[in-house]
Amino acid sequence: MRGRVNAGLVVGGLLVGLVVLAAVVSFFWTPHDPTLVDAARKLQRPGGGYLLGADKFGRDTFSQLMVGARTTLYVGIVAVGIAAVIGTPLGVVAGMTPRGWLSELIMRVNDLVFAFPALLLAVMLGAVYGAGTLTAMIAIGVATVPAFARVARAATLQVMVTDYILAARAAGRRRTAIAVRHVLPNIGSVLIVQASVSFAIAILAEAALSFLGFGTRPPTPSWGRMLQESQELLFATPRLALWPGLAIALAVLGFNLLGDGLRDFLDPKLRRIRAES
Amino acid sequence: MTLYLIKRLAVLVASTAVAGVVVFAFMALLPGDPAEVALGVNATPEAVAALRKQFGTDRAPVAQFLDWFGGLLHGDFGTSYVTSSPIGPQITDRLGVTAVLVLGGMVVALAIAVPLGTFAAVHHRNPLGAAISAVSQVGIAIPAFLAGILLVFVFAVQAQALPSGGYVPIAENPGEWLRSLLLPWLSLGLVQGAVLTRYVRSAVLDVMREDYLRTARAKGRGSTGALWRHGLRNASIPVVTVLGLQLATLLIGAVVVERVFVIPGLGDLLLNGVAGRDLLLVQGVVMVLVAAVLLINFVVDVAYHLLDPRLR
Amino acid sequence: MLKVEGLTVRADSLALVHEVSFAIAPGERVGLIGESGSGKSLTALSLMGLLPEGVTAAGKATMGGNDLVGVAESRLKRLRGRDVSMVFQEPMTALNPLMRIGAQVAEVMTLHGTPRAQARQKAAELLERVRLPEPGQIARAYPHQLSGGQRQRVMLAIALANEPDLLICDEPTTALDVTVQKQMLELIAEVAPALLFITHDLAVVASVCERVLVMYGGRVVESGPIREVFTRPRHRYTEGLLAASKLTPRGTRLPTIKGSVPPAGRFPDGCVFRNRCPQATPTCETVPALTGDGHAFACWHPAD
Repeated sequence: MRGRVNAGLVVGGLLVGLVVLAAVVSFFWTPHDPTLVDAARKLQRPGGGYLLGADKFGRDTFSQLMVGARTTLYVGIVAVGIAAVIGTPLGVVAGMTPRGWLSELIMRVNDLVFAFPALLLAVMLGAVYGAGTLTAMIAIGVATVPAFARVARAATLQVMVTDYILAARAAGRRRTAIAVRHVLPNIGSVLIVQASVSFAIAILAEAALSFLGFGTRPPTPSWGRMLQESQELLFATPRLALWPGLAIALAVLGFNLLGDGLRDFLDPKLRRIRAES
Repeated sequence: MTLYLIKRLAVLVASTAVAGVVVFAFMALLPGDPAEVALGVNATPEAVAALRKQFGTDRAPVAQFLDWFGGLLHGDFGTSYVTSSPIGPQITDRLGVTAVLVLGGMVVALAIAVPLGTFAAVHHRNPLGAAISAVSQVGIAIPAFLAGILLVFVFAVQAQALPSGGYVPIAENPGEWLRSLLLPWLSLGLVQGAVLTRYVRSAVLDVMREDYLRTARAKGRGSTGALWRHGLRNASIPVVTVLGLQLATLLIGAVVVERVFVIPGLGDLLLNGVAGRDLLLVQGVVMVLVAAVLLINFVVDVAYHLLDPRLR
Repeated sequence: MLKVEGLTVRADSLALVHEVSFAIAPGERVGLIGESGSGKSLTALSLMGLLPEGVTAAGKATMGGNDLVGVAESRLKRLRGRDVSMVFQEPMTALNPLMRIGAQVAEVMTLHGTPRAQARQKAAELLERVRLPEPGQIARAYPHQLSGGQRQRVMLAIALANEPDLLICDEPTTALDVTVQKQMLELIAEVAPALLFITHDLAVVASVCERVLVMYGGRVVESGPIREVFTRPRHRYTEGLLAASKLTPRGTRLPTIKGSVPPAGRFPDGCVFRNRCPQATPTCETVPALTGDGHAFACWHPAD
């Protein structure tokens, strides 16, 4: 794997690292308990141990941001994980047997799932099983499967026509062996890039869901819900919207830049593979 | 070409049917019996059975599905188990509102993306073009509802120039109608505009490298003329394919934006339906949304095939 | 008619074409030969004002009283396609895939003032003139429905539409099949006005042109009537080129020029060929001037 370390990679990596750091540290320490309601501190301005102030229930904004980072990462990891684990094999199979009925079927189903955006799936899932972090993760994950399947398929198609694959097939290697030993390692870089981009989308989706009340349930802090709570006080206390908004934007920006940077780093040729997700 | 059209139409119909099955199956998983819920804890078994019969929920699932889906096909969405009012009119009322919201957002997005993206591509080597690229990168990191809140803060709270929410039907007062939609359109449009800008830039950059632009200049066109007359039309093809995807995203974005600005559209109806456990309503709205997405994809596919003579 | 004096083409600070001078009389067919990296394409592109981004031309080139180099795009574009036109090497990508052939041919005329209906009419005639079968059908077709050879004929039709004084062809047949090549060359020979024909193929240039310029390392190293230059080359590079293109008796080695063409910017100063020339001496460290009229060459130790 060659390539130049570029600005996007660095900036993206730093931003993502910041989010990860906040989340990890929050397991061991936060300035205050983010779920602790303290009427006396209601809407306190920044200062005196409350770095960014407190919200209408007296909860510390900074601590909420830190624990909210956990939720954000948690949802992203599980959602992207689901999408990658389900979507990649589907895409590889479709790519290795491009004219077969299985491939056609997979791609049709793919398109169908694509018609159910993450938000819709989450709402439906939430209606049946009760809204919460779990349903949000699963819904976003399922909605992201088509993107992974498409990218995996496109990359597999490209790999299948290379000489070493032809050599492996001529040598009589079984298809599963070819898939695991040859195809997967070579499409790996494309998938990593897709993972980063999908992570960013997952964060946006989770934030939207929490904003609508379909995401993480209180009292667990969530950036999206913090934004929703800030809406009614926008006139008096705009800073309540500023911090979670900034957190979301920076996290998404970070993952997008990281994705772009990884794309340039891992193989400049990758830019040719358009992953429309 | 006609063969393709027929094939594609068949896929559309099949997908819609399958989607219907999925939506119905999903909602059928909802625990609880609508009849029991409607009548309350103290209802007699006979009353519940009678209501079930009225609702039609005593029949086999397949029959229920066929009945419901069949009804959909002629615009009959059934009657709500919870509110006892017909669902169809509710949907059609609000469909118009959401459609206007989505279309307006798309117009704003295009108005931003086409000039900016083209500019960024033509000037991709100088700092201004790079700046636009950077700004669009930031733009896509902002979810629509965040943009909405920011806009409300700037225009409604600080400047007091536009309303922070609410909707006025066009029939009542066109001026107020416009004012109530401006910020929602901007929220949707700015974010989608950022996404589209990147696609437009990429498409135009690709076209700029093509030989036929040089041929055009050899004929006597200046470089701007060549790009305008030959390049943009060719660049619009990949952009059109993306537009379809973006419309679907806009539709979902509209759901959230309706919450931010308290606009009575489909999204609002959906969320209310879920909160009120109005099963049939949710089914209906989800079906409409999914069908809309499938239809948009169909139109885009066909348009793409029509635009590019190599595919005909 | 066309007079080029001291044309120099630069990319950043690197000179890719040095002080090239030549002239083309009305109706004259001149070949420009050289290998890749000799600067021949850039010379042609600079006459049309079609140099790529970052590449600039300096010097003087006039045609029929109009300046071609150092002139603003707005003025230059009026000459392109009307007084001087060009056919490029790769026909497969030269046409807009979304426009019909007829429209693309008509465009070059409407751009220079011909009314639409007349242009369309003339387009059909032009397609016939370049010997395309079923010109009416071709006019309504799209580029992807035509073969490479057919597309190149269309390019020729476009180039000739406004009856330019000079036609520049940059390797027009290199991307075509051999049988198609021959037909194309015959066609060009028949219909071209004054011609600047660029190629690396000696046989091709001999069949079309009367006079030839030999380029190496961004400079003209020899020029003159084809027959003379090819039978009695004076510059050592031309000598090497000709020797390498002759068939040799069985069992003998093909003669080649020692070494390979250096990348841009790495040519030796002084005589640009001296690092590969068997006759090089310290004298060659000074740039030889192009001497001789009629048959000119830039060499301190020419062959005789």
